[in-house]
Amino acid sequence: MSRYSAICHIIDQIRLTRDIFHLVLNAPDIARAARPGQFCMLATAHGKGLDPLLRRPLSIHDVGPSGRLEFLYRVVGRGTDLLAQKGPGDIVCVLGPLGQGFRLGTSSSSILVGGGLGTAPLLFLARGLEPRDITIILGGRDAQEIVRLDSFEKVAEKVLVTTEDGSLGIKGLVTSALERLDISPSSHIQHPPAIFACGPWPMMKAVCNWAAIRGLAVQVSLETQMACGTGICLGCATRSSGQDRYLHVCKDGPVFFATDIDWG
Amino acid sequence: MPAFERKDTHAMTRPEVDLAGIKLKNPVLLASGTCGYGQEINDLLDLELLGGLVVKGISLIERPGNPPPRIHETPCGLLNAIGLENVGLERFLSEKLPWLEKIDTAVIVNILGDSVEEYTQIAQRLNGVPGIEGIEVNISCPNVKAGGIAFGADPALAAEVTRRIKMVTSLPVIVKLSPNVTDITVIAKAVEEAGADALSLINTLLGMAIDIKNKRPALANVFGGLSGPAIKPIALRMVWQVARAVEIPVIGIGGISTPSDAIEFFMAGASAIQIGTATLVNPGSAAEVVTGIASFMDKEGIDDIRQIRII
Repeated sequence: MSRYSAICHIIDQIRLTRDIFHLVLNAPDIARAARPGQFCMLATAHGKGLDPLLRRPLSIHDVGPSGRLEFLYRVVGRGTDLLAQKGPGDIVCVLGPLGQGFRLGTSSSSILVGGGLGTAPLLFLARGLEPRDITIILGGRDAQEIVRLDSFEKVAEKVLVTTEDGSLGIKGLVTSALERLDISPSSHIQHPPAIFACGPWPMMKAVCNWAAIRGLAVQVSLETQMACGTGICLGCATRSSGQDRYLHVCKDGPVFFATDIDWG
Repeated sequence: MPAFERKDTHAMTRPEVDLAGIKLKNPVLLASGTCGYGQEINDLLDLELLGGLVVKGISLIERPGNPPPRIHETPCGLLNAIGLENVGLERFLSEKLPWLEKIDTAVIVNILGDSVEEYTQIAQRLNGVPGIEGIEVNISCPNVKAGGIAFGADPALAAEVTRRIKMVTSLPVIVKLSPNVTDITVIAKAVEEAGADALSLINTLLGMAIDIKNKRPALANVFGGLSGPAIKPIALRMVWQVARAVEIPVIGIGGISTPSDAIEFFMAGASAIQIGTATLVNPGSAAEVVTGIASFMDKEGIDDIRQIRII
């Protein structure tokens, strides 16, 4: 598991919607070492500026040939706003790849569920899964929040879209799409599907409940405030399902089995 | 190893300093809580380039730390309330120290406690353990038996804990001072009088932030310690004051991220410095500071960094 501190050039930065961006960097070492579910810390201050002080954690959206490293992010504050102002040729300092990614396993089928920008790591994940009976569910508030649909369609057998306002796909939450898949309890089927989820906490909790009823294991990718991303500050604690213990999202995760987390 | 290689390495890591009996390759250390137990960061920062590291604070018994959220970013700064999460004394010795022993850099163990007895028990256990060059005492912790007042906020308590630790160890004892006091020189002098071999300052400044959207404090612990470039002017002022109030060496800490930050602290009277929050932002910061100090000394034509102290 190699981690790198790299100074990367931006190959492309595409504004997908009002506040969602697709960033493509040239980062050969990080791209080569990266595994689905891992993340990077990106410096956003101008030059050697100190404000914002901390780097921003972004999950790896995809890696491509010749060192392409891709991210999908939403502008939520000053750091991501500064990042969004950069363009091709500009430089971004990146630490990565970081954390424990998804366990790819040997399930004959997989269901990948993403809510909002939680869809970001699912593209790289789908590329890494073998065999390829893959269903991806993309959930958003509205059609605007469903981004890169064509790329997801290229890596999955089936892509279902849900929007809360019904402007695209099934009207409702990602669980509405899960119910439509008509998955039997694992005890009734020979090859239970592997479930992966990333998105807002209530969404992941709902996916875990849906899966628990069916006896299916879920891997979730968590998002939290982070300072270092490298396992030294212990700032990114999340409650473990074990007694009086904390897990650290940056080093024990960001991907966890749902049963290891205290969902509150 | 051929002689010329040895010389190259030396050129990269100089200048050597003697800090209260601790031999350091150079006056740059990593601050406690920002470098784990060393192994977590060694792939991104070669620890052998540094003077040493001060490991994550150790308590007698393992501590789980505070509930999240534990951190909050502020302009040029970081508020944290990690809650002293650590593996505890025995696991540190059995699981963490063996790796550190193989690394050619000074290892200073930061210790903390709820009572004078807890501090002394840890100090006693560390005495004579191979691979440990010194103890740094975190006196910012509340004294449970004295109603929760921080050891570091009361000259008598700070002196007592220092004296008791000195009685049970032959290791150099560095006392890390809290800036959350009216006059830091009073505490500094009390601790020096009690036998401290060196002082390190400053620990974080107590602060808070409020999440106005959710109408609650940003940290679950309500208060947290502020660190980072935002606190550098305060740290520098306190190092200047303390360096003029005591005879023992002073280690400067607080918002140092570049060689010029470090040089300001040496000019203020520090004999060594620690890099803290900068490592969280850029793991290579401390190595860049080492290189920058060496080039500064070349340019100035000096061979002892303490020569640049402003009298």
